[in-house]
Amino acid sequence: MTEMAIQTQKLTRTFGNLTAVDGIDLQVTAGQFFGFLGPNGAGKSTTIKILTGLLAPTSGNMQLLGVDFAANPVEVKRQIGVVPEGMGLFERLTGSEYLTFVGRMYGLDRATTQRRSVELLDFMQLADRPKTMIADYSHGMQKKLALAAAVIHGPRILFLDEPFEGVDALAAGALKALLARMTERGTTIFLTSHVLEIVERLCSHVAIIHKGKLVAQGSLEELRAGIPGEAGSKTTLEQIFLSIVGQDGAERPQLEELSWLT
Amino acid sequence: MADLTQSIGVFDQIRLIAGLRWRILRNSLRKKNNRLDLMGLIFTGVFSGILVIGFCFAFYAGAYAFVSQGRLEWMALLFWGIFIFWQVFPVFVAGFGANFEFRTLLRFPLSLRAFYIIGLAYGFADFSALASVVWLLAMTAGATVAKPGVLPAMLLIVAAFMLLNVTLERLIGSWLERLLARRRTRELFFGLFILSMVSLNFISPLMQRYGASARPVFLRLLPYFAWFPPSLAGRALAEIARLQPAGFLSTFALLLLDVVLLSVLLWRRFATQYRGEELSETAAPVLAVARPIAEGDDAHDHLSLLSPIVAAILRKEFRYLTRNSFAYLTLLMPPLLILIFSMNFAGRRPAVGGKGVSAEMFFPGMMAYLILVLMAPAYNSFAYEGRGIQTYFTAPLRFRDVLLGKNLMLVSVLLLEISLSLVMLAWRVGLPSAHMLTATCAAILFTVVGQLTVANWSSITFPRKMEFGQMRGQRQSGMAVLVAFASQILMGGISATILFTGNLTGNLWLPAEAFVLLAVMAVGGYFASLDELTQLAEKRKEALIEALCR
Repeated sequence: MTEMAIQTQKLTRTFGNLTAVDGIDLQVTAGQFFGFLGPNGAGKSTTIKILTGLLAPTSGNMQLLGVDFAANPVEVKRQIGVVPEGMGLFERLTGSEYLTFVGRMYGLDRATTQRRSVELLDFMQLADRPKTMIADYSHGMQKKLALAAAVIHGPRILFLDEPFEGVDALAAGALKALLARMTERGTTIFLTSHVLEIVERLCSHVAIIHKGKLVAQGSLEELRAGIPGEAGSKTTLEQIFLSIVGQDGAERPQLEELSWLT
Repeated sequence: MADLTQSIGVFDQIRLIAGLRWRILRNSLRKKNNRLDLMGLIFTGVFSGILVIGFCFAFYAGAYAFVSQGRLEWMALLFWGIFIFWQVFPVFVAGFGANFEFRTLLRFPLSLRAFYIIGLAYGFADFSALASVVWLLAMTAGATVAKPGVLPAMLLIVAAFMLLNVTLERLIGSWLERLLARRRTRELFFGLFILSMVSLNFISPLMQRYGASARPVFLRLLPYFAWFPPSLAGRALAEIARLQPAGFLSTFALLLLDVVLLSVLLWRRFATQYRGEELSETAAPVLAVARPIAEGDDAHDHLSLLSPIVAAILRKEFRYLTRNSFAYLTLLMPPLLILIFSMNFAGRRPAVGGKGVSAEMFFPGMMAYLILVLMAPAYNSFAYEGRGIQTYFTAPLRFRDVLLGKNLMLVSVLLLEISLSLVMLAWRVGLPSAHMLTATCAAILFTVVGQLTVANWSSITFPRKMEFGQMRGQRQSGMAVLVAFASQILMGGISATILFTGNLTGNLWLPAEAFVLLAVMAVGGYFASLDELTQLAEKRKEALIEALCR
């Protein structure tokens, strides 16, 4: 039987009158490279925050690697790595100090933490500025460091909230190489991104959330099969995405109304 | 090209910014925490207001007496008092300033002139400035009641004096912030501080030995003080009260010259900020080098007695402490003040008063002062975490370990400062009796551990982000300040009452026994509270993250 990495039942989160996540049932098999898509404000970040323990669900259950999150949060967190929205870095530490701190927080011994820090900093091409505070890193460097910190303990599930946002092509290459290596060794990767081309290239499975509800879930082939007409296997992820969430023409800004811009 | 029709005027920009601040305040009140925060601020403001009003009477009476009795040269003393308070106080309470970083406005098309005026206007929003302005007005009232004719001149002098003070205070704050942003200057500052502490100890013996011969030198130096702004302000008033307009005009012109000089310096400073100054800790990039894993990394860990998570947090806290110029400065001040207090009020030959305060009274008093100052940051201990707070909720840890790590860091600092002060007091004043020493040590344990429990709760319940390493434009959470205030009064009150019971009952060891019992209870309560606080942190994690990740 296939091991489930992430499973949720009726996961819901409300903020006052707003239901940001509305009873979603996610199923992610271990080892999948899973893309979690949705328009702005659809509930992607809220979902990822719930799955990583940054936000409590209003109702519903979730199990990560078969362990109930609510009952054993520490056990679950030991198995996962997170690059949260805003990256969650301690900006007044150097990159090396931060990785050492995180490694120790995840229970690695000093020698292992030190060795992995050096390797990760070298791999991410961050080793040439050992005394630089994270606050003085560029955005791309911070992203690379956040990813390095998320993988230092060898997590079985990696959650990435917009990992390629504001990252140049070179840095993106390093990130993708690392992610590819992790999927090869069986790590489940759960990623949100607005860049649909990247998701299409990297992810084997995709879920789409719209207005808090899960509106599609499956492999890319399964989603393509759901598109009516002759396009079939040639349909891009962008077309799938737009066909599911983009029909509502009223949501599009009417350029004619901004005549002063032309 | 942008569709700009005309540039907006300076005062329109200031009006817009005032409106922005009002809307920020109004919108923030939609949240319960912010409403509580405002209530806390109002309460604190009331207490501060009582203090300010108390001094108002003193300044009013002083000005009235000096002018009506014709001792006009003494007015300079009042100006000197306000001048020193206005310039020195902000350094001690920088964390309680206005919560608005006006430099963020630079992304708008703001002229340097508008930026300068707004910067000055914010200078008047500090407590020290507000209090000083009220005292100056009280002085004006006192002088006017004594001699109504001096009112126009007094108003002119006070206006110039206020402008001078706010300009100088902004200049000092801005330069201190810039200097302490660099590690090298912080180290230099620390070295100078240690040197000055050592030097201060020689002043008293030197004065005793060479005081008589040094007196003429001091007297020769005294006239030079007449050229400082407070003396100029006092002299200008004296001239006009003696109906000597020429003397008034020349002295007032000198005061204005000081204002102009300081304004030029501040203008240059603000111009640098306006152009986009970066206060950075970082050294220049160095070439990549292969970094072998150090031998020592596998060696004995000095913190091996602690759990790895607590040790990691302790190390992180230490690094944050040594890199935070404001926190750093706050730590340096208490031992210095204890030294000054001990020289002035205690020992065999105190500088103030004939007979010094005895070690029996002085020792617990100074320890209470030390705890009062050093415990204050514990009530908002996540202030500098920023987005890093998320790590505590994504990592596999119990929040009690985070609290333990942070508390251990604070206790270590306290131990260091108490030890340093203890040695200093033993040398300068002498140690108190054994029963008082034991009682005070047990009282320290009781008040520190008792406060830590309350402070941890306050940090989780009323978090407020503070900008790292900045001395200005920051404000603590109003409720956290109020909780700290109430907690310190309660602990201080209990401790003072118990200390006096020894003398009242005739059983000198009774306070020590009571404090040991209370300390044991406080330690037990502290450890029992950690699990409760862990649950509270879990419940309040969203509010914590929201408050600190802004």
